Amino acid sequence: MAWVGRDYVSPFDERVRAPEPLAPRPAGITGRAVALLDIRKNRGSEFLDRIESQLAAAGAVTTRWAKEIFSKPAALALVDEIAFRADLVVEALAD
Amino acid sequence: MTDSQQAGINAGSRAPELAVTGIDPGPVRLGDLAAGGGALLVFGSEECPTSALALRNLGPLCRSWEQAGLIATAVFEDPLEVAIRVARRFGWTGRVVSQAPPYETSLAYGLLAVPTTVLVDRAGIVAGTVVGWDQPGLLALIGQAAAMLGAATLAVPPPVEPRYKPGCSSKAAIDPEIAAAISSQRADDEMEEMFERGWTDGLPVVPPTPERVEAMLGGADGSVSLGFVPPSMGEASLERVAACAVLAGCRPAYFPVVLAAARAVLDPAFNLHGQAVTTQPAGQLVVVNGPVRRAIGLNSGMGALGPGFRANLTIGRAVRLLVTLSGGAMPGGLDRATLGHMGKVGFCIAEDEETSPWEPLHVERGFEAGQSVVTVIGSDAPLNISDHRSRTPEDLAYILAWAAATSWSTNWWPLAEPSVFVICPEHAEMFRAAGWSKQRLREFMFDAVRRPAGQLRRGETTPFVHAADPAAEVPKWASPDAIVLLVAGGEAGRYSAVLGPCTGMGSQIVSREVESG
Repeated sequence: MAWVGRDYVSPFDERVRAPEPLAPRPAGITGRAVALLDIRKNRGSEFLDRIESQLAAAGAVTTRWAKEIFSKPAALALVDEIAFRADLVVEALAD
Repeated sequence: MTDSQQAGINAGSRAPELAVTGIDPGPVRLGDLAAGGGALLVFGSEECPTSALALRNLGPLCRSWEQAGLIATAVFEDPLEVAIRVARRFGWTGRVVSQAPPYETSLAYGLLAVPTTVLVDRAGIVAGTVVGWDQPGLLALIGQAAAMLGAATLAVPPPVEPRYKPGCSSKAAIDPEIAAAISSQRADDEMEEMFERGWTDGLPVVPPTPERVEAMLGGADGSVSLGFVPPSMGEASLERVAACAVLAGCRPAYFPVVLAAARAVLDPAFNLHGQAVTTQPAGQLVVVNGPVRRAIGLNSGMGALGPGFRANLTIGRAVRLLVTLSGGAMPGGLDRATLGHMGKVGFCIAEDEETSPWEPLHVERGFEAGQSVVTVIGSDAPLNISDHRSRTPEDLAYILAWAAATSWSTNWWPLAEPSVFVICPEHAEMFRAAGWSKQRLREFMFDAVRRPAGQLRRGETTPFVHAADPAAEVPKWASPDAIVLLVAGGEAGRYSAVLGPCTGMGSQIVSREVESG
């Protein structure tokens, strides 16, 4: 149903945000720098251990990173540093 | 006007399937209604006096017809809640179903007028129709039904005056815009509009007109920003917070408390982001201390954790609407709570400082007693603790403390985050009479709830328990500071409560002073 002609104060933040474009996808991972980000949920590091060994076998160069805590967004400094150093990121969820 | 062309559907035609909603879940099928021998469909609408006449005169007969195998169903061109109310008001004892615009069933039956009564046989064939209120015509139709069922007789409509009355236009037979205009869900129903806009937590809200929002702001500059509300980071301008307070049903006098609570939940130390999106049930408990409690009518007495008081319910709700609407944490959307709890509609309580034997929460947290302060705590639903028999403060403290042993999980010890105990006045009086300070009670409770690590190693438990010696006594809480004590509740009844924590995300308790206008 269309609602017209009435004036209310919206509880929503009505700003329209442009979607962020995806970064270009690489053709392969050999020689690529891959950041492995542990969000610090239970056993997430075990998952990353397995991923890391498989990535290494495929020729990727891995680095390990961790968020302060799983329930908060990653610190901007961490995001910037990973973006500077890595070509790809794997973020481990958990439980 | 039996079998009249005005009915649009003639005897001998196959009766179209129904596209209607009933009170029971699942589809309403004509075949099911007619399976016992026949179905009598009485199309009607709320606005039509002739429909009311038909419902009133046929309604009391439906039950006896149903026993004989004829299921009578009132098919309304109105929302189901309207249909049920109108049908029952007129004594209709049969089934009730509802059609939404564009009234597909009425269209399929070629309806021009309501009421129209259609008799359908067991095979789904129309046996006869009567348009409008036509007592002799209905008498004949019921006679036809009796013959169809092989019943000796069926109860018939009484010979009331008027015997004839023309019907009203079926909504399916008039222009859709006119139908919408006379529908109960019409476009100028601003309460329904709020639902359409999604400006709700599932309950009706007060539409946030500019006038109401302005009154809520009380002269404050609505463009001032309190920051950004996670998880979607919608900006919490004062105007938007005021809109949430209006939606929630707050009076303008509550707004300073809503603002203090909004400032508190937006403090990064509270970690609203984690709380808003977690699969945990946690909501945001708002505790109010100081003179503002009495000034705005916050209840801290009987039913302190329950319904009945506008200030408590709407302040808590305003905070939650800010999180869900401005912050985008709608349940089932970015709010991923597996179960949630009803405190997530809104949960605002006040401490009964006048009854409490102890310093109130805000004084413990460094404020002056005369300051009005809001404290927010990530919190689970309350668990009641009944104790009418303890006769020593030690016994009572033991009972209270152990009630929390299963908070979060039976074997998840220790909890780092706060558990909130709401101590009822009668329990508080026992501690007062014995001269127990708040700190003494807290430390006693902390010491009381301990289990050997070995007993906690079953199913999920903490790394702390895994690392501990099996004989080591593990406390339920990481420190006495994780036990928050408040006094509230009715003067009679020995029921306290514990509210478990929001766990594992580093959420801290945050307090903010209520700034006077």
